[in-house]
Amino acid sequence: MAEDLDQAEETVEPDSETSPPPPAEDNVVAPTASPTPTPAPAPTPAPISNGIPEPERTPAPAGAEQHPPATLKNRYLIFPAMPLPNLDSPTATAYGVEDRREPGRKLFALVCTPGLPTRTQDMKDLRNHTVHGLLPLVDFGAVPWSPLNQSCMMVIFDRPLGGRLMDSFAGQQVMISEYELGRRIIEPLLPALLELAAMSLPHRGLRLDNLYFMDKDHRELVLGECVTASPGYDQPAIYEPLERAMAMPSGRGVGATCDDLYALGMMMVFLLLGRNPVAKLSDDELIAAKAESGTYQTLCGNERIPMQLIEPLRGLLSDDPRERWNLEALELWHSGQKKTPIQRRPATKPKGPLKFAGRDHVTPRTIAHTFSKNVSEAAKLIRSGKLELWLRQSLGDPHMAEGILATATVSKVKEGAPGGSDDVLVSKACMYLDPHGPIHFKNFSFMPDGFGSALAVEYLRKGNFQIPAELFAQDLLGHWFSSQPEKHADLAILDKTFQTLTGLAKITDMGYGLERCLYQLNRTLPCQSEILQQAYVDHIEDILPALDAAADNMETRSRPMDKHIAAYIATHFKYDIQPHLKALSDPKEETSLIGMLSLFALMQWRMKRENLFGLSSWLGGLLQPAIGTYHSRSTRRTIEQEIPALVRQGSLPELFDLIDNAERRHSDTSAFEEAQTAFEIAETEILGITGEGVDQEQMALEAGEKTTAIFSIVLSMIAISIIIFVKTL
Amino acid sequence: MNDPDLQSQLEADHRRRRGRSNLTWILLILTFFLVIAAPTMIVFFFGLLPTLVAYIIDRSKGKTATFCVGGINFVGVFPYIITLWTERNTIDAAMAIVSDLFVMLVMYSSAAFGWLLFLAMPTVVSSFVLVLQQRKVAQLRTEQKQLIEEWGPEVAALVEMHHMDELEASLSEPTMPDAS
Repeated sequence: MAEDLDQAEETVEPDSETSPPPPAEDNVVAPTASPTPTPAPAPTPAPISNGIPEPERTPAPAGAEQHPPATLKNRYLIFPAMPLPNLDSPTATAYGVEDRREPGRKLFALVCTPGLPTRTQDMKDLRNHTVHGLLPLVDFGAVPWSPLNQSCMMVIFDRPLGGRLMDSFAGQQVMISEYELGRRIIEPLLPALLELAAMSLPHRGLRLDNLYFMDKDHRELVLGECVTASPGYDQPAIYEPLERAMAMPSGRGVGATCDDLYALGMMMVFLLLGRNPVAKLSDDELIAAKAESGTYQTLCGNERIPMQLIEPLRGLLSDDPRERWNLEALELWHSGQKKTPIQRRPATKPKGPLKFAGRDHVTPRTIAHTFSKNVSEAAKLIRSGKLELWLRQSLGDPHMAEGILATATVSKVKEGAPGGSDDVLVSKACMYLDPHGPIHFKNFSFMPDGFGSALAVEYLRKGNFQIPAELFAQDLLGHWFSSQPEKHADLAILDKTFQTLTGLAKITDMGYGLERCLYQLNRTLPCQSEILQQAYVDHIEDILPALDAAADNMETRSRPMDKHIAAYIATHFKYDIQPHLKALSDPKEETSLIGMLSLFALMQWRMKRENLFGLSSWLGGLLQPAIGTYHSRSTRRTIEQEIPALVRQGSLPELFDLIDNAERRHSDTSAFEEAQTAFEIAETEILGITGEGVDQEQMALEAGEKTTAIFSIVLSMIAISIIIFVKTL
Repeated sequence: MNDPDLQSQLEADHRRRRGRSNLTWILLILTFFLVIAAPTMIVFFFGLLPTLVAYIIDRSKGKTATFCVGGINFVGVFPYIITLWTERNTIDAAMAIVSDLFVMLVMYSSAAFGWLLFLAMPTVVSSFVLVLQQRKVAQLRTEQKQLIEEWGPEVAALVEMHHMDELEASLSEPTMPDAS
């Protein structure tokens, strides 16, 4: 076998590809700059059809060679003209890299799909730690990528000079003997798995096409990258443990080392047999077979497995994560020590099968999986009570039957309301039938620890959060927690997280809602705002400069704020911005504008960012309604005259102080009240003179009469005084 | 009968009773003065007859015509009262005064002058008052316009609000039921 491998190594041709499997239901492919296909690769030997699944890879955008190189951290030049299709990841395209400091160093870059969540935190960890047996991650960062006309996350790796392991078998059967398997595969990969486990960083990308030779002599085998997509996203379903395989690729969850070991077991089976023994089965058939017979039995039941590999394969491919071999067991086996064989516990067999969707089901897990794909029929079956009866009488699980009965009763009570819909009923029933499986709702299926990436990919695909919003509205996440038979500490943490998210999702204000959930769950996800489409804002410090840069290209009437930006700031900005968000969400335009300005001003002040000329100008042009909150026209004119000077300074705090100075606002308000009173007094006086029902002439006449009477009395008094004076003389 | 009618009738009754009471007091005082100063009272009575007539026929608010006529009329009567008090304060002397045509002419002429004053002067004064009022209104309107220019139309919000209140109040007033 080793000879075969060596022969294959000599004829290695990196561009060879086996036929890809059908794309997963929520696979997102990298956008291409042009619809024209990439030039056909150089002719390669025809691959032998072995049925080993490989994920579909996105070709590099056509015409990329005409673009200038991108520069990462002023050190790495990434050349669009140097695509390396043989090093492509399923959701990231590979390009040649030149290191300015070490010109001879062989590197390559993976350009990630914009919008798709990446494992940025894991990138940091892997950059700072050397993991033996793992493709060395040199550096990473987001830089503008001209072929896609937007910023993309780029990850720089040392180039594996020997290419892919799979490519090294070009033209020959992908097969390694049981004697070579340990030395060739387990030995180089085990240190990587051990170190990753020590870092609490599951790889979640173990598959045959993700193994590389670092050297041209094909001696140093390493695990490929795992950071350009969310955990398990790139994996063909067969490599995933049963419960995660049933979820959509984006919702497979972070997982654990035991999931990596399952994938390792699967790789071992493929390499040992030289083919995929269940290649003819569709994903659904495979899941059903695994659920009913167990993974090992499904794959190896009809195959001749060497004696020394039966126990490790049975251990690694165990469907119960608690029974699955851990790294310690693998290490023991590899060092030649024996481990106590797994005691096989036979699955509870029902007295009779449940016929649904054209096949007989004997496990609740396959029923749940099939229910999620045949919702209306499943709802009919649940409502008819046949499922409950089967669970109670045939399977002998009264607890599960009670759960299904309760769900059906609640659905009947809520009939006609969203809570009584078929989708909700089936989703809840699936949680009872397969409590350890994924949550299914309207073709949105995810493991609870994969909700974040599922949410991100759902938004990337559809541009909205309709299904997750319904999921929160119906409190399906809370129902999932209550349906769990065992409530351990991890579940309690998840439940608390979901409760918090449900609270956030139900608030419709800016800075909350599903957008907030998206960023809370995907802390390293860049801001998805359309305003920042060309930028890659994955740090709160970058948001103001990005908006400042976007100011030149945006229509000045639009606002530099949307639900994504507000949610991103609310998630990542460490200071209390509740009052700002409340003002921002106010239906009054002027209050909302002042809230937005105050928020940006606070950010600029706290982050000590200076000279935001573009953003100041953008905001300054929008502030007319906010200026209008002052009653005094002369104050408004003064503010309008002062804005250009502050815009030239690029200072948002000063702009905010101008617009919303407390002293100025107080004096404006009190002066306005005085003016109102003065106006009212004047109006009262006018009405007293010319008002309705007032005879002005009559009033004047009466006034004249009074004046005459007074005049007459005064005159008579003067005359009397004179008479008295004259008489007394 | 509805409430406003009842109220107005009650007010009229109250006024009538009060008028009677006032008249009683006046008669008492006059009787008192007639006893202690009969000559003076005789001169006053005949001399101030135009004032009494003016009082009776005066419909103006505040009895301005009465004050006007009475004031000047008193000036015409007063010199003869002084004469009466300083020379012979008897009823004969008083009768002599009131029976002297010249004296009566003086007294009534003064009253007539008072009437003339009342007829002529208010019209002149009212013309002045009208001009002053128009100037005042113009001045107030200018002030209001300046306030609106500085503070915007919302400065009149209180006035508008009061107008609306009045309008609502007038619309909600009960209407007189139709007797037919």
